[in-house]
Amino acid sequence: MRCKQAGEMMSARLDGRLDNTEVALLKDHLAGCSACQAEWHRLQALDSLLASAPMMHAPVRLRVHVMARLNRREQARRAIIGGTALALGTVALALLALAPILLGLLDTTGIAPALVSGGPETIVQLLALLGAVSRALLVLAEKFAVPLTFLGLFSLAMALVLNSLWIGAVRRLRAA
Amino acid sequence: MTNETNETEWIKLAQEGNQAAFGRLVGAYQTPVYNLAYRMLGNAGEAEDAAQETFLRAYTHLHSYDPLRPFRSWLLSIASHYCIDQLRRRRITWLSFEDEIAAPERLASDSPNPEAMVAQREREEQVQQLLAVLSPTDRAAITLRYWYDCSYEEIAETLSLTVSAIKSRLHRARHSLARTMEGETDNAL
Repeated sequence: MRCKQAGEMMSARLDGRLDNTEVALLKDHLAGCSACQAEWHRLQALDSLLASAPMMHAPVRLRVHVMARLNRREQARRAIIGGTALALGTVALALLALAPILLGLLDTTGIAPALVSGGPETIVQLLALLGAVSRALLVLAEKFAVPLTFLGLFSLAMALVLNSLWIGAVRRLRAA
Repeated sequence: MTNETNETEWIKLAQEGNQAAFGRLVGAYQTPVYNLAYRMLGNAGEAEDAAQETFLRAYTHLHSYDPLRPFRSWLLSIASHYCIDQLRRRRITWLSFEDEIAAPERLASDSPNPEAMVAQREREEQVQQLLAVLSPTDRAAITLRYWYDCSYEEIAETLSLTVSAIKSRLHRARHSLARTMEGETDNAL
């Protein structure tokens, strides 16, 4: 057996990973090699020193600090989710306010009156009101040359998407 | 109810977001995690920060914990990797020796005998000086072997290495420490 192999076996011996045959081989080598014998004594001394070193107790405040940091982090997380939900909701509502543009388009094309011809009077009045608002918005939009059909469809689609996100965020907040 | 059953229950509750249950896990594992961090970083303050960070990371990733794996092993793996990263990030400006061994909170076997305490403290300083010689990963391997009685397989899993790599690292680290220890003894004479 070479000294290099013996060196590897010494470490394995300290970990109890050698079988009886390997232990015997190592002992034979140590008996005839003073350098390895000296190394073995050094390793044994090191092993005793490390094995006698105790566990360090954690400071009593550790758990308190961990839980406090966890609380702060959870609060920050909730604040972010809550803030995001609020912002999305606000944007969604603002976009919903643009929906009358689409209704205005329907109104001007004569589709809306046909749709609500048999409906309750209140709905007709509401549509008339929305129509008035939308006409005002149409005038503004025409002034700035915005493609109205696109604007109406886009605002409705965005409102739906943002409302869905808003509902999702609020649900997540409530679950957290 | 056994401790193991308690632990399983605490983990399940903590995974559902129960912070009180996670607090119990912190209480149960704070000393093993702190000791690992202290042996790795050699400084009480840094060890405390590392232990805190380990538990916060564990809470964040609790959903990915595999119940088939021992919880202690999973937790020590997070702590080991965090400490290895910290050691690699350390600047060349070394802490003074006094800082390196800055008063650990207390030893697990506190002794009222002043002479025994002095001797224990000296041994403690020697141990930390020796560990400081090793590379971060070798230091982790030696710590897991001696303070946690981990098998080669457990150390390999904790450090994400192969068993043969662990065997080789332990062998190399031990011979390096033995030579350093002998050098210190010679200098002391």
